[in-house]
Amino acid sequence: MPSDEELAHLQKLSNEYEPQVTGPLVGERQSSSAITTEYANADPVYRTKTAALPSKYSHYRTCRGDGHCGWRAIAFTYFEALLRVGDKNRFLEEETRLRSLRNLLNTIGFQEHLYEDFADECFDLLRRTGAAIPAVDDSAATELLASFNDVGISMAIITYFKLLTSAWIQTHPDDFQPFLEFGQDIKQYCSTQIEPSICEIDHIGMSALAEVLVKPAGFAMEVLYLDRSPGDQVTEYNFDPLGHDGLPLHNPPTMRLLYRPGHYDILYKIEDVQSPIVSQAPLHVNLAGYTDDFVPMSRGMSDVMTLIPGLYPTGMGGQNWPSVSYDYQPTRVPQPQMAPVSSYAPVPVSAPNQEYTNPVHQNVPLDPPVNMPLNPLMANESARGGPFRPSVYELEPGFHSGQAPLQFQTSIFRNSHYNTAHFLNPDFQPEEWTPDSEYVTTNRSRHKSTSQ
Amino acid sequence: MAAARKRILKEYTECSNDTPPGMKINFDEQNMTEWEILMDGPEQSVYSGGHFKLRLTFPNEYPFKPPVVSFKTKIYHPNVSNDDKGSMCLGMLRPDAWKPPNKVISVLHLVRTLLIEPNVDDAIEASIASEFKDNKKGFEKTAKEWVKQYAK
Repeated sequence: MPSDEELAHLQKLSNEYEPQVTGPLVGERQSSSAITTEYANADPVYRTKTAALPSKYSHYRTCRGDGHCGWRAIAFTYFEALLRVGDKNRFLEEETRLRSLRNLLNTIGFQEHLYEDFADECFDLLRRTGAAIPAVDDSAATELLASFNDVGISMAIITYFKLLTSAWIQTHPDDFQPFLEFGQDIKQYCSTQIEPSICEIDHIGMSALAEVLVKPAGFAMEVLYLDRSPGDQVTEYNFDPLGHDGLPLHNPPTMRLLYRPGHYDILYKIEDVQSPIVSQAPLHVNLAGYTDDFVPMSRGMSDVMTLIPGLYPTGMGGQNWPSVSYDYQPTRVPQPQMAPVSSYAPVPVSAPNQEYTNPVHQNVPLDPPVNMPLNPLMANESARGGPFRPSVYELEPGFHSGQAPLQFQTSIFRNSHYNTAHFLNPDFQPEEWTPDSEYVTTNRSRHKSTSQ
Repeated sequence: MAAARKRILKEYTECSNDTPPGMKINFDEQNMTEWEILMDGPEQSVYSGGHFKLRLTFPNEYPFKPPVVSFKTKIYHPNVSNDDKGSMCLGMLRPDAWKPPNKVISVLHLVRTLLIEPNVDDAIEASIASEFKDNKKGFEKTAKEWVKQYAK
């Protein structure tokens, strides 16, 4: 039986013990087959589960197991998810939203002059990564990784998120009290299990962080539990965000974590890894015609503002306002150029099913059918000086009816799917070779299209 | 490190505006991670009449790791190690209990409170702690002798 002094000494050693951990705070992304290799000689349950892993999750990233890995993994993937969305304005929106959570922290009694340093590191990183967008190279991702490997920045952001989590739990006692040990005080719990600087995230903390940080940003979080429980698949746990309508969001950006007892790493599916959606010049989509497939994202206060089309210009410069970004939809929305556009087929313009207005930036030369007046009758009228001003470019009545397949002036358009002779055209009509026309030289355009 | 310095300055401002009774902080801007604190033994304690010199050291990782409190003046106390370090490590000062938003002024109050009322359940010097529990008179006698001997 060791004496009290020996015990005290052991206790002291134990208090001062710091595991010797190596490796970067957040590692480089690597192929997830490394996990399988790591477990090749392990317990069969692990072997089966890890063997199935790489087929679903192509890549992973390690976090240093220094007792902060869970917090750090969530914080890092949160920034990365924002990066994947690839919209500068989202970074500003998130900063605005997080700043507004100040009240939450103050309510709980955290002192602003103490936590503002931590919060500022977070806002600072949001701004720096946001500024690197649109990234031609992956400078924003590099910046993010470097920042998270800086102990000061990394810890400040973790601390800030811990305080948010603690404040959230304390302001929503009904949601969390049932999960505490019987009779445990919620404030006591937060001060011993959430706030201390050496304190790994537990399930309660994770749920609260998901509520305060992840879901309102419109992100989903997926945790895969790799343990020795029976089964051949890793157990999955999901935190799904809800839209304003209370329904789950459609295909939100997802943060994926791999949990092995006591440790968290980051996982990726192949679609997460592919180069972020290339942000082209912003697509200015006509609001009026743009109704399909719109998924409302959680956008905090900006929602009301964005309902007013054209209230804000899109280039917000240095302003701190969450900006209207209806012209950009982070999820996979059919891009206007790619959508089957029916207007190139010779249908009457007044057809009721044509709700799609041509995006303005299409430099397709307007082809005859679109230029047709609403009906031939009016065309005749205009020729006689009716309600419409006569135009020198007006087509002769009956011009269209005689036209065989559409004529395209440039080879680019002839080879594109706007050409009805292209197999991707919804009104596909193969071009037929007419030997007779080969020798007709009077019809200039006909000659041109067949002789090339 | 820049962030740590900023924070230390803030903490110093708060402490100097509201210094706990009987304490004086010597702050050196050139070396702001080490504070020298002169403290009078609280009147209601056995250490009354003594003048103690303490050092408060901020680690590089501050505020993510706790500051280290050490008594430069020898003191007979269950919570202060009886060696050349004179370290005091309990409660909020424990690395696993430290929270980054903790304030230095609370640390100073903790030190003062412990001199008035030692915490024998969390003692670093177990023999002094058991003497405090079983033979309070003897403890007080030794403590007062040490004050005379070292803390004048």
